[in-house]
Amino acid sequence: MSSSDTTRDPYLALIEAYALGALDTDERALLEAHLAAGCAECARSLEQARSVVSQLAYLAPAAQPSRMLRGRLLKTVRDEARTGNAPTPAPAKAIPLWLWAGVAAAFLLALYNLHEAQSTHEAIRRAQAALDEQIQLQKKSAQDLRAARREAWILTDPKSVRIAMPAGKTGFPELQATWHAALGIVISGEKLPVPGGKRTLQLWFVPKAAGGKPIPSRNVRPESDGRFHLLVEEPPERQGDTKLLAITEEPEGGSEQPTTPPIWVGAVQSR
Amino acid sequence: MSPDAALIERLLERDVRAFEELYDRHSRIVYSLVLRILQQASTAEEVVQDIFLQLWRNAALYDGARGPFLPWLLTLARNRALDHLRRKSERQRRREDQSDELPPASVSAPDFEGNLDLQRRAARVRELMSGLKPQQRQAIELAYFEGLSHSEIASRLEEPLGTVKSWIRNGLLKLKEGLGATA
Repeated sequence: MSSSDTTRDPYLALIEAYALGALDTDERALLEAHLAAGCAECARSLEQARSVVSQLAYLAPAAQPSRMLRGRLLKTVRDEARTGNAPTPAPAKAIPLWLWAGVAAAFLLALYNLHEAQSTHEAIRRAQAALDEQIQLQKKSAQDLRAARREAWILTDPKSVRIAMPAGKTGFPELQATWHAALGIVISGEKLPVPGGKRTLQLWFVPKAAGGKPIPSRNVRPESDGRFHLLVEEPPERQGDTKLLAITEEPEGGSEQPTTPPIWVGAVQSR
Repeated sequence: MSPDAALIERLLERDVRAFEELYDRHSRIVYSLVLRILQQASTAEEVVQDIFLQLWRNAALYDGARGPFLPWLLTLARNRALDHLRRKSERQRRREDQSDELPPASVSAPDFEGNLDLQRRAARVRELMSGLKPQQRQAIELAYFEGLSHSEIASRLEEPLGTVKSWIRNGLLKLKEGLGATA
C-alpha cells in the first residue's frame, strides 16, 4: 500500500457510514473537510455508496399512495403549466435557431441589396447584440443553477444546522439560517424593512475565541418587497469556531468592522 | 439515454405528461420509503407531494452526470422524510389523530406491482439483507429509516460503538458487492 493510500484509508473507511448518515459529529466533520478539499477518489466512492444506500428503500413495506394524491399533484402541475407559474430555471441551452436565422437573413439582405447596406449593417449589429445578451443570460443562468443546486442541498441535507435569528428590533421578522459544514450557509426571511438610501445588510461571524472580533462576510439589500436571501458558499469561519451569526446595517459595499448594533443575532450550535 | 433521463429532459420543457410518467414510475417506491420513515399515511403523502412538486418546479436540481435518477430521488425523499421526522417532537406525533396511522394492509399494493425490475431489485436487496446477522441488519435499518448515528445505535442496541461501526460498514460493503454482482 502506498503512503497516499494509507493517508486516504481512514477517510474511505468512513464513506459508507457517511452515505448512510450514521457518522457522529467529529467523524462527519473530518470527512466533510476532506471532501471539501476536493478528494476525487472519496467523492467517487461516496457517489457509489449513496447509490447502494438508496437501495435500502426497497426494505420498506410496499405501499401505494392514494389516487387523491395523484389527482391533487396533477391538478397543481397542469395549473402551473397553463399559467406559467413556478418556472424551472433553464439550464444552459443551445443558441436559439431564430437568432442564427436572424443573422443569416441580415447577411443575405446585405448581399442582395447593396444600397441597403447601412440598414443591413445595423440589423447585424442588433442581432449580434442580441446574441451577446443571450450568451450573458446563459452564463448567468448556469451560475444561478449551480447556486440553486447548492442551496437545495444545504436546505434539505439533514446534516445542516438550522439557526434561528430573532430580531432585536420590534416589528422586524425573524430570519432563518441553515449552515452546512461543507456547502455553506443560506439565510432568508420575508417582510424586512428595506434600509434607507444605498445602505445594506451585512453578515458577521462572531468567533468563540475570547476577544475575537466579528469577521465580515457578504452584504446584500432586501428586495423591494422585503424578501431577504443570502447564500455564503465559503464562510470565513467554521461552525465549531463560531459563537454567533449577526447581521447589521452598513453603508453600501459593507464594512470591515460593524458600525451599527446588530439587528439579527443567532447562536450557532454545531452538530 | 435512460427513460428517466429522457423524462427529466421533457420535464425541463414543462411537459406535464412527462411529470405524470415520472410520478407513475416512482411514486410507489418513494411513498413506501417515506411512509416507512414517518409511519403516518397523511404526513407521508404531504411529504411525497412536496418532493414531486419540487421535482416539477426545479427539475434542473437533478444532475445526470452524477448518476442515475432513481437513487437521487430516493436520497432526496429519505432526507426530506428524516428532516420532517426530526422537526416533529415525539409529543406532537403522539397528539396526531390515531386514525391517521399506517393504512390497512388491503390498501397497500402487493409489491411494486407493474414493475418487474423494481420487484426483482427489491427481492435482491431483501435477500442480501437477510444474509446479514439480525443485529447488523437492525443497525443499518435504524440508521437508514430513523436517521440514528453510530453512537445512538450503539446506545439503542446496548452494543459497543466499535461493533456497531463494523456491522454497518461490513453490511453495506456486502450489499454493495451483492448488488454489483447482479447489476
